[in-house]
Amino acid sequence: MGTLTEEKSETDIRPDRPWVTVVWDDPVNLMSYVTHVFMVLFHFSKEKATELMMKVHNEGKAVVTSGTREEMERDVQRLHEYGLWATVQRDDEL
Amino acid sequence: MKNKGGTGFFRSGDDKVFAVFTSQEAHVLINLTEQILELLGEDDHVDDEMREFMSIVGISTNDAPPQDPVLHRLLPDAYSDTNAAGEFRRYTEHGLREKKRAHANTIREALLPQDEEWDGDQPLDLGSIEVEVPMTEIMDWLGGLNDIRLALAVRLGIEKPPADEQHKKYELMTESDPMKAVYAVYSWLGWLQESLIQLL
Repeated sequence: MGTLTEEKSETDIRPDRPWVTVVWDDPVNLMSYVTHVFMVLFHFSKEKATELMMKVHNEGKAVVTSGTREEMERDVQRLHEYGLWATVQRDDEL
Repeated sequence: MKNKGGTGFFRSGDDKVFAVFTSQEAHVLINLTEQILELLGEDDHVDDEMREFMSIVGISTNDAPPQDPVLHRLLPDAYSDTNAAGEFRRYTEHGLREKKRAHANTIREALLPQDEEWDGDQPLDLGSIEVEVPMTEIMDWLGGLNDIRLALAVRLGIEKPPADEQHKKYELMTESDPMKAVYAVYSWLGWLQESLIQLL
């Protein structure tokens, strides 16, 4: 993901990284599948992937990554390749 | 369908991933992957010359969301804003279609009979088909099965929450209703996909 290699976390949304990837709840995608896709695409630990999946499930959506607009578009494209319902948004539109 | 003989995915002694499908299950899966391939291959907005151009540069002239609700679910909008979604679609939809076609093709080719004399018109009657899934193809299988489930879910009207009432309706439906069979395939594919995820 770009040149920055630091581990992503939910505290990683900084003013200089104003775009986010939002994953929306979907009654078709299996919970185990969504967790697995998060682990494979974003190299999240099983714990973090499960936590994000549960957030999507319980709250209807969750921010899964943040960064530049180009990075978020790449993430959304890859999520769409695997059938997850994802959008790019500005951080302040949430 | 899951009680009629297919095994779902399992690991062999040397840790390779396999599945055994009945010929009926294989037939259903081949048919569904071909429907997905056909659906994703169509692009109403372009002629042959433009198609060739697109395949080289990966950019479409199209920025409108698909009319078909199944296709729209497979190729969703990346922005809530229509203009931004259209612009993104113009640059990425062709590539997304190709990725999804590749996933469907992986499944289709693994299930097609290896016999060179098979011409595609004869019914499949091979008893059962054993498929080995290399680790490099697991995400293709998961994504490809998921696309079929998404497509069937749109046709069944269960792709958006809340879908509980609809699920109840199909569970109570009599076997003679053709939608009951579609729902049975949808449920089987969920079971099949889960059996693969549980191995990972």
